Amino acid sequence: MTPTTSEAARIEASVSLPVPDLDADGLVDLFDEGPRLVGTRCDACGRTMLGDRIVCSDCVGTAVTRVALPATGVLYAFTRLHVGAAGVRALGYVDLAGDVRTLADLREDGQPLQPGLAVEFAVDGDDWYFAPSAGPAASAPAASAPAAADANLHANPHDEVEED
Amino acid sequence: MTENVHVISAAMVPFGKHRSSSYVGLAVPPLIDALRGAGVEKADVDAVYVGHSYGGMMTGQRICKEIGLGGVPTVNVDNACSSGATAVHEAWSAIAQGLVEVAVVIGVEKLTQFGGGTLPLSPEDREVKQGIVMPAVYAMRANRYLYETEATPEDLALVSVKARRHGALNPFAQFRTEVSVEEVLGARPVADPLTLLMCCPTGDGAAVVVLASERARARLGISSSMRVAASVLHSGRVSEGFRDMTYPEISAHSAHDAYEAAGIGPEDLDMIELHDAFSIAELVYYEAFGLAERGRGIDLIRDGRTTFGGDVVVNPSGGLLAKGHPVGASGVAQIAEAFWQLTGNAGDRQIDDARWAMTHVTGGGTAGLDHGACTVHLFEAA
Ligand SMILES: [Zn+2]
Repeated sequence: MTPTTSEAARIEASVSLPVPDLDADGLVDLFDEGPRLVGTRCDACGRTMLGDRIVCSDCVGTAVTRVALPATGVLYAFTRLHVGAAGVRALGYVDLAGDVRTLADLREDGQPLQPGLAVEFAVDGDDWYFAPSAGPAASAPAASAPAAADANLHANPHDEVEED
Repeated sequence: MTENVHVISAAMVPFGKHRSSSYVGLAVPPLIDALRGAGVEKADVDAVYVGHSYGGMMTGQRICKEIGLGGVPTVNVDNACSSGATAVHEAWSAIAQGLVEVAVVIGVEKLTQFGGGTLPLSPEDREVKQGIVMPAVYAMRANRYLYETEATPEDLALVSVKARRHGALNPFAQFRTEVSVEEVLGARPVADPLTLLMCCPTGDGAAVVVLASERARARLGISSSMRVAASVLHSGRVSEGFRDMTYPEISAHSAHDAYEAAGIGPEDLDMIELHDAFSIAELVYYEAFGLAERGRGIDLIRDGRTTFGGDVVVNPSGGLLAKGHPVGASGVAQIAEAFWQLTGNAGDRQIDDARWAMTHVTGGGTAGLDHGACTVHLFEAA
């Protein structure tokens, strides 16, 4: 068989390689700022996502950078789970600055949990959790907790349409 | 250009804890009854679609071979809580395109195989690794809904009370007894603010419907059926950040597309079977389906507008809360209920002069999605 001569005709199919995502160490890592939730930022469009990711779920860009996510956020909703092995477990969704939401264990630290509460990331041995922000930050001024301002916009669903 | 598709027969086993029955044992009896109900012979069946999530490999083939039904395409469908309705959607799609004349759809699930506890979710999912379970997802939805609206835990309880009152009329329901608001609020807490009686039970079951083209319906001499006016299937769209948990986008979009396809609106509906896996769900779906303004779903349940004698009867079967929720079976069972209502065969729970029905299932806990899959069907008495 005659070898092909044209350059274009000799392009081979590229080999897609599997991602060893099962080897990832979990959602928390030690960054310059200290222990933080791991995030991934898209170099092309700036979309930030939770965890180690290889592709932007928005623009499908594959040039992405591993980043530390902010340590402060706003509690969107929570529950105390009574089923399962852990006894009563407080769980919630926390909205971090930069529009990243994470599921998180919550500790109350004497302050009753409620949606809209400013919360802070913390590590305790192998566990990580969010707890109400200490001191005046708990009242969530926009300067110290930018995500709080974001979330307040959404408190009234008629104010803003956040459909996709 | 699509052909009219009809549901011409339905059958199901009562939902419940059928510990001595396998997937085959659950599904073969309604399969026989559904075929006989329409006078359909094995040789008339062009394709079989089977919805299940935990039945394992070749569930549909294991069932069908018991009656010697084979040699035609048999498609096993997993779409979590939407598995059964997705199977109906696939059957509808094949008939509407003229590829198939008569299709059998089986929805079947056996949850007692897990010995209790919450529904097993994919261990590959990020939030599942963190310990999320479905009651927690709906509990957070409820937490936020109570925070944003005038709703109270009593409103959540009213949904369960209505479901159990309807279920008491339905011989196919897992729960046949009524409960009071006090009993619902005082039941064991599962995930605050949801108590055990605000959560659908674990159970087993199977439901079967037969779909046919207009031509096959005439050939089989079927006089009483319902026309599929819309069959819509959506999958969830990821949100890395903020998501309004009080407005389930996948259900709202699916319902919107269904209304548009059928040329009707929420005010035309006589009944809805919706996905009340947890009582909060019913309130937010009232709003997603356009039955109430945002935040005002509570008015419908408080004023009795979604029970018999109201504007639209929601979950006349008792819904997932009372009838039960064997995941892959639920979507087909809802369509069976619509079939019996629209053909006047619903017994004590018959809705007078029912003409239009909606069925809705959604589910599949997946991080970043409202739900994994949602199916909405609209039917018209024919
Ligand atoms: Zn991007």
